[in-house]
Order: sequence, then structure tokens, then C-alpha cells
Amino acid sequence: MSFTLNGQTHDIPDDWREETLLVLLREHFNLVGAKFGCGVGLCGACTVIVDGVATRSCITLARDVDGGTVRTVEGLAGEDDLHPVQQAWLDLSVPQCGFCQAGQIMSAVALLENRSRPSEAEIEEAMDGNLCRCGTYPRIRAAIARLVEASI
Amino acid sequence: MKRRTFLAGVGGGIFALIGAGTLVYSQIPVIPKRPEPDAKTAIGWISFNNNRFSLTLPRVEMGQNIATGLKQIACTELGADWDRVDVAFHDTGMDRVKATVGSESMMLFAEPLAQACASLRDALEAGRDSGEIAVTPRPGSELRAMKKCGYIGRSPEIVQGQDIVTGRPLYAGDVMRSGQLFGRVLRAPESVERSTRPLSWNADDARTVPGFVAIVEDCGPAIGKAQGLGIVAERSGALDAIAEALAVSWDVTGTPENVDIQETIDIDANLAAGGLPHSVLDGVPEDGKYDVDQRLDVPLAAHSPIEPRVAVAEWQGGALTVWSGTQDAFYVRDVLLDAFGADGVTLQSMRVGGGFGGKVSATVELEAAALARGVGAPVKVQWTRAQEFTLGYHRPPASHRVRARVFDGKVTDWDHGQVSSHIFFTSAVAPKWMQRATDALIGDDGVARGMVPPYALGRARAAYDVKRLAVHTAAWRGLGAGPNGLAIECAMDEAARVANEDPLEFRLKHIDDRLLRAVLQRVAEISDWEHPPCYEDGLRKGRGIACGIYKGTSYAAVVADVAVEDNGATKVEKLWCAHDCGMVVNPDQVRAQCEGNLAWSIGMIFTDNLPTDKGVVMAQTFIDAPIPRNSDVPDMVIELVESARAPQGAGETAIVAGPAAIANAIRAATGVRIEQFPLKQGDLAV
Ligand code: FES
Ligand code: FES
Repeated sequence: MSFTLNGQTHDIPDDWREETLLVLLREHFNLVGAKFGCGVGLCGACTVIVDGVATRSCITLARDVDGGTVRTVEGLAGEDDLHPVQQAWLDLSVPQCGFCQAGQIMSAVALLENRSRPSEAEIEEAMDGNLCRCGTYPRIRAAIARLVEASI
Repeated sequence: MKRRTFLAGVGGGIFALIGAGTLVYSQIPVIPKRPEPDAKTAIGWISFNNNRFSLTLPRVEMGQNIATGLKQIACTELGADWDRVDVAFHDTGMDRVKATVGSESMMLFAEPLAQACASLRDALEAGRDSGEIAVTPRPGSELRAMKKCGYIGRSPEIVQGQDIVTGRPLYAGDVMRSGQLFGRVLRAPESVERSTRPLSWNADDARTVPGFVAIVEDCGPAIGKAQGLGIVAERSGALDAIAEALAVSWDVTGTPENVDIQETIDIDANLAAGGLPHSVLDGVPEDGKYDVDQRLDVPLAAHSPIEPRVAVAEWQGGALTVWSGTQDAFYVRDVLLDAFGADGVTLQSMRVGGGFGGKVSATVELEAAALARGVGAPVKVQWTRAQEFTLGYHRPPASHRVRARVFDGKVTDWDHGQVSSHIFFTSAVAPKWMQRATDALIGDDGVARGMVPPYALGRARAAYDVKRLAVHTAAWRGLGAGPNGLAIECAMDEAARVANEDPLEFRLKHIDDRLLRAVLQRVAEISDWEHPPCYEDGLRKGRGIACGIYKGTSYAAVVADVAVEDNGATKVEKLWCAHDCGMVVNPDQVRAQCEGNLAWSIGMIFTDNLPTDKGVVMAQTFIDAPIPRNSDVPDMVIELVESARAPQGAGETAIVAGPAAIANAIRAATGVRIEQFPLKQGDLAV
């Protein structure tokens, strides 16, 4: 089994197939951007993009991404520049503790790739599954709004 | 199966021999030491080498972005460019600093840091380039960082911001030591106040789980009275399956006190049974009927940081190193030393993925250290969300009754009673015998925090009691100040109605403190208080106001607009907050703290509730104990009022006013005065 991870092809070793994608990423590939927050798909801290869709890696099995394309927060930035979503997050100082933010960013990236001008309802639908206990929600919306404006 | 030794073979050839528990852990709690910072200690926080400065943070970074704020102080005082100062998190090799609690980092640490930086600057200017510098304290007025210059009053890019948005390892859970394994300590699904211990388990089945490494019987001190059984695996993903296969049966003895939490703390039952022992205000209201007579209850609630507690422990010979996102590295180090008597313990503090007062005691650190010792390899322990709910300590439930008499447009008599559970003398740390002494002698100032209203209220009495419960309670954002502010500000709103006065004017009439008056007046201006929203599109709309002072130092006033549908569905549409914490070092991050407090205010009104049954926490996931979502938290306008004072705290101020502003808006929209929080949708249905 193999998959594309942040643009590179990798094997999924046999004995990792039944692990969750989150465990595979963190413990096999040492990519720790995606976080464990609840383990049951309810907080969004583990969000990565699988075949273009924001996906909870804690409830996705490694074998289910066989042949697929996985993008994590570590793969967003270019050589010299941050991804525009990452930059907007910094410009508006969105993170407080930061623990939820990799997941927030991946949900926002997936949203903006699928909809260049998302409606308020679409933003709500895309972002409501990503919990933030620090309360950075208004800044998350402001960052998305800024990106939408910039894309026009 | 009785205590014995296990030998577990693993695919990779690791063998772990784990001895049965021989250690008896001390029953005497380690008391946290909380030294006040001074300029002398501060010299250990800043150094100069190779033409660069290095700032070792004396505080824990948990999202208040104090790393950024203190770097601003250091850069300004040193006269150094932003890029010339590196920031590191402290370990316990540094001189002891007190826990990062109580929103006091700027208040207490900014000036000592500035003093140390000023002396270092002098020494460098005098041509010194090595050795230790003595701090010569100078008058505060001579410190550059205590004025609006340099980086003060600005909002540079937050420290570690790049690392956060690119997913670099920052948190304890991201630590990966060579040969690291993953562990968990299983405990009985019971109240932590019952004596429980593992009785028997199915080791053979557990061993068949791929990735199984070991069962560890000596897995550290009990949590409360819950003794555990440790398991270790090659990957974290195997732990659930091992736990299931083990099917531990538990020996359960003892009946915890006060399993019916609601009944135990019921204010009216307690008042009927006699007085409340701890007095906060000792005025004597006149007998007779009250104009306002209001009950208000908040339940037990979980901190619910998105990062569950997590630690990595590694032994090298007799020396122990632990990585943890704790709010109190030195206390946790002391507890580890007490428990393991190691040759040396170093605790490396890591970025905390949300603290809110919840990460102060020693839990996962002890578990990880015991398991690492058991298997002879580094071990990471991360609590599951369910463990967070069942084994953590929580916001105490509180039951209030506030009575007020109004005459001639003023409150003449005030009587506020409260029953809650411990905060400072938490059952999570203090055994019953110790708590009995504190109960008899001093009560619990954490519960009392914010119980003195910021108003002149005539003959005013306030008193409380604390009860030990079957679920552990302790510090939460703002301690008692959030619920106390809610109770006081709802009652003031009712008193204004009795007086038939505008709630803003009515409050102002009772306030002497000019700083509190100022934030109230300012929030009224920015929200256009005179022009509240009205009924539209089948929505009941209303506006509410509230204010408060936190720890006598920081001020906030909040206005909330709400819209209520016929079915009772309620939305906070907008929030305005005026906030005064004296001189502002970083306006953007003070705003961020206000925003966080307002999100927590929404939580207090709509979600915060940790369900229990007979003293057992029933919540397993965020479905059972939800927190506010993105769409629950509206846009906010934050206005910083900057009185001419040294920097004060900002992390827990607006929570004294936000919840009541929302509750008062709901009252204005619907006529309903909520008495039981969180609000249930049906409460407001028509
Ligand atoms: S950890 Fe995956 S949704 Fe919470
Ligand atoms: S920034 Fe702390 S949980 Fe979102």
C-alpha cells in the first residue's frame, strides 16, 4: 500500500495499515502538526486533507488512504513563502494556545480550494466541526473573510 | 490474577520485566511553593552570548502569548531588535518561579524582567562581556519598558506563531524520544473519592494485541483514591485494544460523600439548615421582604482544553526528565521527587495546548514516570478525552441566592449566599483531614473571589460554604469570579427593574470607582447603548449590560445583543467589551484575551456542564459535555481603556461581566430570568 503525502509517495507498512491515519502521521512519519484532541471525530484538531476533502485523521484508517493523496499542515508552505491561509492566520494573530490551529487551517484551506467565495453558511458548515476552547473563532472568520476578499 | 511479574515479548524483540508494586506513595501532599518574583531572580531569565540575547521565560505559554509580551519588555529595555532575542521555555534547572495562574504574569514579572534587562544593558555598555551581572534596581520611572516606547504598546508577530501555523513540534505530545513507548493508566469507572484498585485482568488476551509491550502494576500514586493498572504499547493506537482485552475488574470500596451534587450544594436547603460559615461581607440587612429574590445555579464543568493532559518521561539511571505542558513545572517536579525519590528530576515545560487553571496538579507526569521506570524506556502518556472528564478536576458547581431591597432608586439591603466546592484547597490535592482544618479556619478564597460586589449596596452581607464532593473541583478560569459576577450582575439587573431605571444608569449610581465607571460609560458609547435592537422577523431581541472588577486590578464592562426564536433557540448576535488593565504592553493580545473570555462567557450561559450520576462523571466525549462552536461565538468589538497604571492582568477579567450581559440580554428579550445554567432551549420557547 502507498499514498502521496505532501507531494511525495510513501509506503504504508503492513503493520501500520490498521492504525488510524493520525497515528500513522504522528508516530510513523513524525508529522506532529495534526493533533489528538478527542479521538472520535468531534473536535477537528486532527484535520488533514484527503483527496481534497477536510478529513478527521483520528477516525480514518491508514489503509483507507491507500492510493490517495494526503496533505498536512506541514506541506502547505512553499520554500520561501507561507501558504496564504497560514499567512492570514499570522497577520491576524489567530492562534492563542495554537493546539487546534493546524486543524482549523486545514479546514479553511479545503474550504477555500473548493469554494473561492464561500457564503456565510458554507463557512459555518466547513468550520463548525473545528473546536477552539481559547475562543479564536471571530479571528478565524476574519482571516477567512480577508482571504476571500483578496481572491476577488 | 494477583500481583506478580510479567514478561512480555514483542515483535521487535523488546522485553520488559516489570516488578510488582513495592512503593508506598506518601499520603502527605506536596504543598506548592509560590515565591514572588524579584529582580534578583530575574537575572536568571536573561543572558547574552555570541551577540545574541536569550530570554528564558519565567512563565508558561498557554495561549495568553506571554512569550510575546515578555519579549517586548526585554527587547525594549535592552534596546535590542526583535530578531536578536531568542525565547526559550524554562525547565526546573532555573530558580523556582510560581505557577502561571491568576493572570499575574505582566503584573508581577514585567518589572523584575525589565530591571534585569536594564542592568544587563548597563553592563554591556560598560564593556563587560562575561560573568554574572548583579541587578541594581532603579526607580520604575527609569525603566524604558515601563513607558510607551520601543516595542511597548505594539503587537509584533506572536512568538512561535510561524511554528504553530506550520505544524512544528511545540507541545509535550509532540516530543518523541528515541525508543519511546506509549502508555496509559487504567482506573475504575467510579468516583475518584471511592477506594478502587485493579483486582483481576486478562493478561493473556492483552498480550495478543499487536504492539503490546507490558502491563505495569506499579503505575504511580492514586488519583484521589483510584489506583490504576498501567499498560504500555509500541504505538498509541494499540492502547484502546489492550485496555479492552484486559477487561480489568475492580475492587471498589467505600462510599464517597455527597454523591448527589445538586442536593449537597442546594443553597436554599443549606440556608434552611443554618447559616453559611464563611463571611465575605458582614453588613446586617434589615428583616422583611425583599424586592429581588433570585436563585442562580451553575453546574460542574470541565476545562476542556483541546489538548488533553500529556507528558513524556525518560529515566537515565536514577535521574528523571519529564516534558509536560503544565502550568506549574516546579510543583510537578516536587511531586515527582516526592513520589519517586529520584536522584534528580528535571521538568521541561512545553507550550500548553490550553490551560485555564486545569493543568496545575500532577497527573500524567506521575503516570508517565512510573510507566517509564517500569518498562525501562521513555513513555508518553496522553489522557483520552474520557479520562480528562473522569480523572481531571473541574469547575465547582455553585448554588447562589441573592436578595436585594430597593428604596428610592437605590439598593439598601443586599444578601448573597453561596454553596460551592473547593478551589484552593481542592480535594484533588488536599486530603480530607487537611480540608477539615481549612474549612474550619479559613474557608476557600477561590470560591469567594469576586463575591464582593463593586457597588455601594447599603447593608450588604455575603457568605458561603464549601462542600467536599464525589467529583474533584479546583481552579477554573477566574475561579469563583465568573459565577459570582453572574449572580451579582443578574440581581443588579433585577434591582434596576424594580427601581424602574435604566440598568446602566442604575449601576453608575452605585459605583464610586472611577475606573469601573469609565469602562461602563465606554462600552455604552461603543455599543450605542441607547438604541437596542428590537423585535424583528419573528425574533425576540434584547440587549444586556454588566460589569465587574477582577482581583481589584482589572476592569471590564460588556454589552450583549441576543436574538431568540419562538422555539427558544438563542443566538448571541454581537458583543462589545470595554477593558482596562492599565498600561497595555500588547494591545492585540489583550484583545485576544478579552475575546477568549467572551467565548467562555457564552460557554457559561449555553454549554458548560459536566453531567454526573451518583458522583460518577458520565461524560465521555464532547457530545456529552459540549463547548461553544464557531457559529456560537459572534463578532466582538473590544475597546481598551488605558488608565495610567502599571500593567495588570487580562486573562480572566471579561468573564466577570460577559455571562451576565448575555443573561440580562435574554431577560430583556424574553422576560425570562434564567436560574439554572446552562440554558436549555426549552427554557425560552413560546
Ligand atoms: S482528534 Fe480527531 S476529531 Fe478530535
Ligand atoms: S487556539 Fe487554543 S484551542 Fe484553539
